[in-house]
Amino acid sequence: MDQLTDVLTAISHPTRRAIIGQLAHGPARFLDVAEPFDTALNAVTKHLKLLERAGLIEREKRGREVFISFRGEPLREVAGWVHEYERFWNQRLDQFERYFEDKKKKGKKK
Amino acid sequence: MSSSTKTIEFKFERSIPAPPVEVFDGWLNPEIPGNPWNMAEKLLLNAQVDGFFYWLIRGNSHYGRFTEMERPSRIQHTWMSRSTLGEETMVTLTFKKQGEDTLMTLVHSGIPETEAGRGHEKGWNYFLDIFPCQFGNGSRKEK
Repeated sequence: MDQLTDVLTAISHPTRRAIIGQLAHGPARFLDVAEPFDTALNAVTKHLKLLERAGLIEREKRGREVFISFRGEPLREVAGWVHEYERFWNQRLDQFERYFEDKKKKGKKK
Repeated sequence: MSSSTKTIEFKFERSIPAPPVEVFDGWLNPEIPGNPWNMAEKLLLNAQVDGFFYWLIRGNSHYGRFTEMERPSRIQHTWMSRSTLGEETMVTLTFKKQGEDTLMTLVHSGIPETEAGRGHEKGWNYFLDIFPCQFGNGSRKEK
């Protein structure tokens, strides 16, 4: 697969987007990356492999520990493929979904 | 549309935590954030078969005609704007019960493929914009 396909595959999954969002704040160790997710460590490893293949993360050994960091450059290539209607509908649908999520949360609190 | 104009289609899916009828009605209610009619500078909306809409946002006019309206499962309407080069494109929404939630699918088809539609700079900004708020808890479906 070419890198564009790898990057699109990598960012197509909510868990991988969440990992990217987390790493955007700075490098982290594997267990720190996995901690917020209610999923097996094996599954997180697979997600990280896909992100690594796309060039969106890199691993760096520091002493006995391995730190994972985010690399944003590959997203530039993807950005060129974003049509204004993809952007428009994604933004709209995200807002729409968030409205119902917030409504549901408020309903549970009552 | 001219046969020489290549067209493209986009498909989006979201899992909405509400029953189909609520999601369907929400999509047609201009008060609810995220549907196309929300945040309009000017809106004329007649959401019934052969009803028209006019939606003005940030100085851009959008026009369309509703062609299908099957509450609570399906909405279809045409969509014309500066970005469609004045051509009629088609927006089709389906709402399917998925447990307690609704699987909502939006297909926008017949969009003229132009370089203008692919704003590289705008596209990059899009990613930067959604990074902090969306990447953390998005629920876009994997294709």
